[in-house]
Parts: sequence; structure tokens; C-alpha cells
Amino acid sequence: MEIIEKIKTNKSDDNLTEIQKICLHKLQASPLPNPKSELWRLSNKSKLSNFLDYSINEKDSKFDIPYPKNSQSTIRLIIGENCQIKLIEKNYSIQQLSEDELQKYIKEQITFFKQNENWSDLLNLSLSCKNNILGLKINGSKIPPIEIFSHASCNSLNAKTLVIFLEKNCAIELLQVNLGKENSSLSQSTFFCLKENSSINHGVVSYGENRSNLLNSLNVIQQKNSTYNLGSLHFKFNYARFEISIKQSAGNAKTNIKGMQITKKDEQISTYTKIEFNGPNGFLDQINKSLADDKSHAIFEGSIIVPKIAQRTDASQLSRNLLLSNLAQIDTKPQLEIIADDVKCKHGATISQLNEEELFYMRTRGITLTEASKLQLSSYFQEIISFIPISKDKWDLLDKLLNEN
Amino acid sequence: MQSKMKESDPILEVENLSASTDNLPILKGVSLTVYPGEIHAIMGRNGCGKSTLSKIIAGHPSYNITNGDIKFLGANINSLEPEERSQSGIFLGFQYPIEIPGVSNLEFLRVSTNARRKFLNKEELDTFDFEELVKEKLEIVKMDHAFLSRSVNQGFSGGEKKRNEILQMALLEPKIAILDETDSGLDIDALRIVASGIKKISNEHTGIILITHYQRLLDEIKPNYVHVMSDGQIIKTGESDLALELEEKGYEWTDNFIKET
Repeated sequence: MEIIEKIKTNKSDDNLTEIQKICLHKLQASPLPNPKSELWRLSNKSKLSNFLDYSINEKDSKFDIPYPKNSQSTIRLIIGENCQIKLIEKNYSIQQLSEDELQKYIKEQITFFKQNENWSDLLNLSLSCKNNILGLKINGSKIPPIEIFSHASCNSLNAKTLVIFLEKNCAIELLQVNLGKENSSLSQSTFFCLKENSSINHGVVSYGENRSNLLNSLNVIQQKNSTYNLGSLHFKFNYARFEISIKQSAGNAKTNIKGMQITKKDEQISTYTKIEFNGPNGFLDQINKSLADDKSHAIFEGSIIVPKIAQRTDASQLSRNLLLSNLAQIDTKPQLEIIADDVKCKHGATISQLNEEELFYMRTRGITLTEASKLQLSSYFQEIISFIPISKDKWDLLDKLLNEN
Repeated sequence: MQSKMKESDPILEVENLSASTDNLPILKGVSLTVYPGEIHAIMGRNGCGKSTLSKIIAGHPSYNITNGDIKFLGANINSLEPEERSQSGIFLGFQYPIEIPGVSNLEFLRVSTNARRKFLNKEELDTFDFEELVKEKLEIVKMDHAFLSRSVNQGFSGGEKKRNEILQMALLEPKIAILDETDSGLDIDALRIVASGIKKISNEHTGIILITHYQRLLDEIKPNYVHVMSDGQIIKTGESDLALELEEKGYEWTDNFIKET
């Protein structure tokens, strides 16, 4: 109940938006997720409690880490910093959703929310004030790459919400970056609606500083013939959860996901994915990698749901994990729920350590053990990083990761 | 020829070497001396310890030396790390070269070459200078430049992997090269390219140990000595004719030989 009190004491009832009121009402019945539920049983309770400890911050706050320099060809938006955009060009348009459009869409989504499954979204929408919700409608072709940033400031809990409608036949590249400052909590919820024949290459890169926390939720609805490609990377958070929910509303759509989480020290980072096929001929190719070092804990739970209507679904989910220390822990559980009888579905999980034969091979070529380990990790990371739509000159992620590992 | 070779000091001396892995003895007192300019062939059944011997000389961490010494250029290298052995001039050509996805072959070769050059007090090469050097060496194994931009050994055919091994040998210019079944999986043309590459790289100052099952490689590269291994020991040493005899009589002949001795 504390969190509800905190939100309420932060604002008077009159200042709450209708969505905030609805979500608060839903949370009131049980303010925290059930720790015994499948989706929360592995979540570190004290870390989740630490997430909620910070005071709620709704103000625009300048982030005191400089973002990488923006190139002229990229559109950059920072949620919360009086973000305004209206671009109507010859081939494309990017406009903000009206309040009505936003409210209507979010309300629709909330009706499907379940307490444990969507607790992060309920929290986010209870916390997010108008200024911290960005809604975009994107249309047309030859759209420049887009970068959208969310950040949490020191000693505060920030909530940011992003809603994107991708209109018919539209294709975009979007990099979403979530940054956590020292001792901070960021709640980020993202909603995508991909209309027919649209496609998106979506990158999600989240990294924090000491003791920063993240609840990152991603909800995607794919209409027919749409393609959703997601490359994600989460690292350097005391506690982070990445919850992905993708629904192919009428099947006949393609989803490709390549995600990775890296944990060190006593960090806990988890990824939960739920992919639902609500029509025939759906396609999914998913790989999730975890790398756990020191005393850290990495979790992956994925479910693929193929009801009777989803005939001829072709889905694959693979969890590959690298355990670098005897004290680190990895939990992984890829799952399939199949009712349809004419489908091609597979899933699997592996947990291993650095490959000794590969290391030996490199060492017999004069490369030191440290360098050989770095090369091997670089090879492990590469598959995921190359899938993230990110400009190499601005974001040298691989170097950043290798230097920190 | 032999007496000329033995005027200089040996490159490699393996003295009564015994080794085990997981407390299982694999090598049981192997002795072998290689002088500059010499080519040695080691033959034997699968599982007799040939590949283990090569890995132990290269410093594989999974094996424990329980007795004996390995000396390289007169110095005991039992406790040297694999990278130190490589930098000082020991090369192991793998039977199954490892794939390293995501690491470009060019960068891998450059890092390896520079590690060896640093040891030799030679100037390390930047990408441009290295490209010049590698172009020259690619000729030796008739490899296309396109192989350099691919990940190390990833998607290479068996023959391409073996040629890539010889390319590495050419770049590292080792004092001694141990080639573990470099001929396996090669067609006749590829075998000739690889054998010709090995001959071009080796000289009167270097030593070569060929581990093989087949005479066909030894037809291309004539060894000075042939050693037959069985159950972790060298049970017979002879000149190149020994390989022919083995080809003719099969390994059963060595079984009889063990019984007789």
C-alpha cells in the first residue's frame, strides 16, 4: 500500500489523470505483485522494495551525463524534457498523438491488464504524468532513424511512457535508450501498435550506474504482414526487469528478437517474454542470451502461446547462457503452450562457461588468456549487438561492454 | 643430411614425458628430439596419444605432466602458458580448427602475428601494414582475400580451415610446427596446396612434426624420421620407409611388434 500512498501524497486527487486514477484503483486491491506467482517468484524482494524506495520525481530534470552527439540525420527525442514534435515532410510525417487518442489507446490496453502480468505497466501508468508520456503517430517512408531516451535522476523514481502507432506500410528504425543514474529507479513502459505491412527495427539499450533500478515493459501489437525486429541489451543495473509482450493479432506477421542481459556483482536482471499468436502463419525467431558473473543472478522466462486459430505457426525460442563464476546464478525457462496441431515450434536452453577449447586455440596463437576471453565474449555479444539498430561511431557498445567485463 | 642437422642444438627435446588428464595416464614416457631442418612424422592408431602429445607440447591446461620434461631451444617449458610457448615459436596446427563467430579473421591474424612480433622485438603492424604482409602469405596457401573479412573459421570448409591453419603458420614463422592431422579431410588438390605451403614455410632453421594416419601426406613431404605411437609410447622409430611399411602391413603389425618386444 505504501507505493499508493506515495503517489497520492505526491499529488492531490484532482491532479491525477483519468488513467492514473484507473491504474491506482487497480493497484489498490493488491499494491504489489504476488511474490509466489510464476512471474515474480524469482524476483529479488529486497531489490524490488529498493526500486520503490525513492521519491517520485515528475519534473523535467536535465540528465547530467552527456548523451552521445546526435547526427543531423537522426531524430532524437527525450521523454519528459518538454518533448514536442510535429514533422510533416514530403515522404513521411511524425506527429504527437492527441490526448484523446492516447487516453483511448491506453485505456483499451488497461482493460486486458492482469495484476501480476502487467504490474509494471500499472505502476508506470499510475506514476506517469502527462509530461512524461510521449505518444507518436508515424507515417510514410524514408523516415530517418529515431532515438528516444528515458532517464532516471539520482535518488528518485521516474516513470516514462512511450506510445507509438506505426501506420500502414511504414518502416522505421528506432533506438530506445534507458539510462539510470546512481541510486535511481526508472519505470519505462512502451506500447507499439504496428499496422498492416509496417515494420520496425527496434533497439532497446538500457544501462545504469551504481545501484540503479529499472522496470522496463514493452507491449507490441502486430497486425497482419507486419514485421517487428527487436535487439535489446540490459546491463549495469542493481535490479532490472524487462517484460516483453507481443501479440500477433491476426497472425501472418513476423517477429525476430535477439536480446541479452549482463549481470555482475550482486545484480539481478531478468527478461520475461510472452509471445501470442492470434492467427495463422505467424513467425517468431527469438534468442535470449544471459551472461552472469560474480554473485549475480540472470533470469529468462519465455512463453510462446499458440492457440487453435494459429495454425502453421513457425516459432523458435532459444535461451543461451554463459556462467562466468561459481557464485553466479542463471534461471532459464523457455516454454511453449501449443493447441494448434499444424505448427512448427521449438525451444531450448543451454548454460555453459567460456569454451576452453576456443580459449586454448587463441592462446596457441599467442593471445593472452585475458585477451582471448575478451575475444570470446565479443563473439558472444556480437550476434546481439549487430541486431540493434545503432550507429557504431556514436555508440561503441561492444567496447563499452568488453572494457567493463 | 642428418649429421649436418645435428651440428646445431635441438629445437625441441621431449624427455621421458608422462602426462595424464583426470588422473588417467595418457602419455607413458615419450622421448623425441627435433633438430633444425628435420621433419618428423608421428603415426599411430586413434587414441594412441598423438594429439595429446601435440597439445601438451603446446601447453593445453587440461593435461598434467606427471614426469619428464619438454625443452624448447634448451629451456624447460613445462610451466609456460600456451601463449608464451606460441610467442616463443611453437606452433600447433589443429586437427579441428576452432570457429570463433564474430571475430574477423583479419583481426585475429593481426593480433596473433603482433604477439609473436613483439616477442621477437619486431615492430608491431597496424592494419594497413598487416594487410600487405597477409596478402603475400595468402599466396602460399592460395586463399582468397575474402576469407580475411569472415569470422575465424566460421563457415569455412574442412579444406579452407586447414589452409587457414597454414596461413597462420606462415604469419607466425614458428621455430617448430606441430601439425595435427593437417591432411585429414583434404582432397588431393587441397592436400597438395597445404603440403606445398608447409614446404615453403619450413627451412633449415625450423622443425616440423607431422601427425598423420596416411602415407599420402608423407609422399608430398618426406620426413627424416617416422615414429609409431601406441598406448602413450613411441614404440618404433625409423626413417621414411617405416611409414611405407606401416601402410603396407597395418597397425596389427605394430601390435605384433609390441608382443615380440
